Amino acid sequence: MRFPKKPEEWLSVACMVVLVFITLGNVLTRYFSDQSFAWTEEISVFLMVVMALAGAAGAAARDGHIRIEYFYDRGSAQRQRSLRITSAVITTLVFLLLALLFARTLMDEIKWAETSVGLGVPRWWFTVWVAPLCLAVAWRAAAMGWKGRHSTPVDEITAP
Amino acid sequence: MIGTLLLLMFVALMLMGVPISVALGAGGMLAIALNNLDAPWWGLLAAAQNMHASIAKYPLLALPMFVLVGSIFDRSGVAQRMVTFAQACTGRSPGMLPMVAILVAMVMGGISGSGPATAAAVGGVMIVAMSRAGYPAGFSASVVGASAATDILIPPSIAFIVYSVNVPGASVPALFAAGMVPGILAGIALIVPAVWLSRRHGFGELERGLPRPPFWSSLGAASWGLAAPLLILGGMRLGWFTPTEAAVVAVAYGLFIGMAIHRSIAWRDLYGIFREASEISAVIMLVLSLAGIFAYAVNTLGIADPLVAFVQSLGLGSTGTLVLLFVVMTLLGMVLDGVSIFLVFLPLLYPLMKVFNWDPVWFGVLLTMKIAIGQFTPPLAVNLMVSCRLAGVRMEATLPYVGWLILSFVAAAAAVLFFPELALWLPRRLGY
Repeated sequence: MRFPKKPEEWLSVACMVVLVFITLGNVLTRYFSDQSFAWTEEISVFLMVVMALAGAAGAAARDGHIRIEYFYDRGSAQRQRSLRITSAVITTLVFLLLALLFARTLMDEIKWAETSVGLGVPRWWFTVWVAPLCLAVAWRAAAMGWKGRHSTPVDEITAP
Repeated sequence: MIGTLLLLMFVALMLMGVPISVALGAGGMLAIALNNLDAPWWGLLAAAQNMHASIAKYPLLALPMFVLVGSIFDRSGVAQRMVTFAQACTGRSPGMLPMVAILVAMVMGGISGSGPATAAAVGGVMIVAMSRAGYPAGFSASVVGASAATDILIPPSIAFIVYSVNVPGASVPALFAAGMVPGILAGIALIVPAVWLSRRHGFGELERGLPRPPFWSSLGAASWGLAAPLLILGGMRLGWFTPTEAAVVAVAYGLFIGMAIHRSIAWRDLYGIFREASEISAVIMLVLSLAGIFAYAVNTLGIADPLVAFVQSLGLGSTGTLVLLFVVMTLLGMVLDGVSIFLVFLPLLYPLMKVFNWDPVWFGVLLTMKIAIGQFTPPLAVNLMVSCRLAGVRMEATLPYVGWLILSFVAAAAAVLFFPELALWLPRRLGY
């Protein structure tokens, strides 16, 4: 395992570490003081969403998302190449659309000054991160497709 | 019409090798847009909302945490010590090493939650040992791949966490408890043919001459690892922690064992472990989030109703329908990993469950068993791919042996199908 210096990878690792500490903190506080800080739930959920999307961008860069590999990894080099490009194009388009939709949701939340259920803070504090992360996934998928347009595909590490 | 399009597009994209998450999202959003052509933004804002809502759930936090537990324990060196201890218990004669592999995979299943991860951890230790004792590589790969499939049954299981967040009325503790007996049953169902095949073909004759490890010292070395499932499952049972918290406690415990006791994890390995775990979780959670869009489309378009009506019109009755599902799910399990199958098919299966009045916990266990079978059924078995890679054989080499293991596992699943109490007794006993 190398340590590739990719920002989305660091972000998702950092979220995972913070999640571990928050939850561990919860167990210990409850054990010692019979109290739990329920307010951390909203933050944990937010971190989990960021971790998922940032990690998804990392997986897209490695072409590591779960897929049916039967046709994808078989057949002529030409066919494999076109399947790789198609897959990258569709992934990019889907995540561009999602980024747009989340940007729109963000505008609504700011306009209506919606607040979160748990902490009562403005909802957009959380939402504002989602659209850029979707763009990151789109970007990584596009770069993957662009890289694969000439070369013969090699076996990549696949997800579980 | 739009419904057919949704399903066709989804299947076509999946076959082309588009990531399953993306295929779910693309199919779902297209169907929503076509159904709401005159609504603002074609109704797609609801798609974004559903995507976010599908993963923004607190109970789901157990998923990344148990994935992390798996990544840590894979490298903590406990598998090797458990193997040594198991050999000290079983002794050395033909057929004992495959049994050890299955037993260790089952205990590892009580720590981590995913099949391919366990196949890698157990296979890494067992396949070399088995080939040294004279077992053919194809046989070793079959045994390891099949035994790792018990993992998604024996708690904690990632498949159960995903099922629970999607199915009302099936709590994580109840599912965990319900998977215990069927998981052990499945393990026994694998041990019997594995030992029988070794005896019949005279595999592992070399094993007889190998030294038997001393009992007490190997128990001592293995005890740190053996305590982990007790801590996780016992802690949950005694109400010390929720499933998520149990996972985090196991993370701390695993890091302690790996770094301080067995010294197999160094500080510089930590980034790699966390990176792997966060990416594996992210990949699963992305499927989960975009499956939310798919499920929303399936529900608003009412796609499930005609399918449910069709299945009902077959007149197979409750048991017949389950057997049919059994066949379909096993076929799907050959191509897809279990978690993806849950997510794609739950919107279709849930109405069916309502119609036939199946217990959601029992149905979850049954579905998981079917998917587990698919995970080691060639040609597209995920677990078998991992173990064959480790053994350095092609999947064809497993064909003479793996059929027996599949047959026996099917019998275990059939037992749970016809005797629901096998799954439901323990959760009721424990009061979940």
